[in-house]
Amino acid sequence: MIASTPGSITSAYAHLDCLVEGIDRLQRAGFSNLVVTSPTPRHEIEELLYKGRPSPVRWFTLTGALFGGTSGFTVASLTHANWPMIIPAGKPLVSIPAFIVITFEATVLMGCLFTLIGLITMCRLPSFDLQVEVTDPRFSDDHFGLVINGLADTDAAKVRQILRDTGAIDMAGMELAHA
Amino acid sequence: MKGLTYGAVTRDILRPLFKPSAAYLGLLGLCIALLAWGGYCWFVQLENGLGVAGYQPPVFWGVYITTFVFWVGIGHAGTLISAILFLFRSRWRTGIYRAAEAMTIFAVMSAALFPAIHVGRAWNAYWLFPYPNQRQLWQNFKSPLMWDVFAVSTYFTVSTIFFFIGLIPDLAAVRDRTTGVVRKVYDILSLGWRGTDRQWRHYMAAYGFFAAFATPLVLSVHSVVSWDFAMAQTAGWHSTLFPPYFVAGAIFSGCAMVITLLVPMTKIFQWEDYINLWHFEHLAKMCLLTGAILTYAYGVEHYIAYYSDNVYEWGIFEYRALGDYDWVFVTMVLCNCIIPLLWWVPSIRRSYWGLFIVSIFINIGMWFERYNIIASSLAHQFDPASWVYYTPTWVEWGIMLGSFGWFGMWFVMFVKIMPSVAIAEIKELVRPPLKLDEAAK
Repeated sequence: MIASTPGSITSAYAHLDCLVEGIDRLQRAGFSNLVVTSPTPRHEIEELLYKGRPSPVRWFTLTGALFGGTSGFTVASLTHANWPMIIPAGKPLVSIPAFIVITFEATVLMGCLFTLIGLITMCRLPSFDLQVEVTDPRFSDDHFGLVINGLADTDAAKVRQILRDTGAIDMAGMELAHA
Repeated sequence: MKGLTYGAVTRDILRPLFKPSAAYLGLLGLCIALLAWGGYCWFVQLENGLGVAGYQPPVFWGVYITTFVFWVGIGHAGTLISAILFLFRSRWRTGIYRAAEAMTIFAVMSAALFPAIHVGRAWNAYWLFPYPNQRQLWQNFKSPLMWDVFAVSTYFTVSTIFFFIGLIPDLAAVRDRTTGVVRKVYDILSLGWRGTDRQWRHYMAAYGFFAAFATPLVLSVHSVVSWDFAMAQTAGWHSTLFPPYFVAGAIFSGCAMVITLLVPMTKIFQWEDYINLWHFEHLAKMCLLTGAILTYAYGVEHYIAYYSDNVYEWGIFEYRALGDYDWVFVTMVLCNCIIPLLWWVPSIRRSYWGLFIVSIFINIGMWFERYNIIASSLAHQFDPASWVYYTPTWVEWGIMLGSFGWFGMWFVMFVKIMPSVAIAEIKELVRPPLKLDEAAK
């Protein structure tokens, strides 16, 4: 049996095509505060919910890579300037070819670390306090979860009807209002 | 993946977790025993100094650096399989990439031991990293050894992040099938992952960026390792051929190690629905390609040494093939160039025994390749008066064996506590549960 919180209806689907239809019909009915839980990423779900909008994680990545590249080259240059060795044959103190390796490695390292920060921030990890209805163990196995949040009491019957029509196998929440 | 369901995937992949058999415990015990022996040998070296190693002027790089390069090379296949093949949307990567990534992490952890062991005073190894210090002493960023520190530590960090991020959804699947303290531990490890649409959206974007970052690292790390040698004036090392030659060798040895590890695992855990001869045949073909590049590189470096008309250069290559280290050279050529040709025969590369045995030879051959490069060039430098014959001591062999115990211990523990096949990604390949299909039945 799945759980729910006030103002929410929770449902479980055993089939992906039913879930997709359910999301579509709910959106067309004006319910957009949805949380979908799935055992694997599905493009059908992302397309319906985000309409192709790219994730902002990419800005973390770009910032990290630029910061890393700049700081890598700067650290290598400043340390050599700090201890200026007299190098024969006119070789430069700040050597671009020699510092390319450090610059590249720092770009990759910082790009990755910032992407990790972006991922954690945007996914709101660690997510130990997520609403109880998305914690059903079936959702990491072979079922899909669909939670409709922010519902008024008057919406409950309509939402439950849509869920039932589209093949939800399990539902919970907002029962009292319509008992 | 025909006929598989989401539920079956979860069940099959999580089946081997947590229930150690007597054979498993025996294998783990063997790895720990090897590690303990290696630890004892290192203790002997720490107590008595580097004199217990077989170093003698001018040979101050030996088994430790050979084994360091060997392990870094082994660490290549995991990221190649997980990152590059991910970007190419190669379907055969999915079943094997998790174990290959784990192998990468543990191989780099094994490699990371050796610079500290090699410098003797391991407690000063942190001097390799730049840190603000009272005397304003800084590393020389123009040194290839410094590049190597950055390259290997970046590779380790990025590979570990990539590995961990890939594991998060699967750790959540383990959490949902456990109870009590174990469940709590997996909940923490999975960062409370729930697989919501929001989480998957950002996860997939970030995963792509991690793969994009890891991809150039596959090529750069062993290029930088090769510059440890190629930037020196030592005959036999000072060559522009080294970066591609080292990268090809690393992928060759790494893919062979994946075969060595996964063939027994597949059989023991009955994972043939997920990892089977189709995957292994692709790995074998990858080895055939990189092995051909490697054989070509061996030929080219000898030919260029001959064609250069440089007596020192040709002298070292003649010495490698016909001198004191001819047995090393023969082992290398036999294991890396001749024996892998057996995989051109379809029946051999499509048999588990054929795959396993040839992959073992490649592992041996690739260790000897690095030994051949390092020992022969240093033992036979420009001044004939300094020529020596380097022989490793029992302490060096012991530490090298200990590194295999270290690597094996982590890998053997990994297969019992983490899903060794990527559950969420396998489900992407499986046909999702559809009402349409049920109606058609």
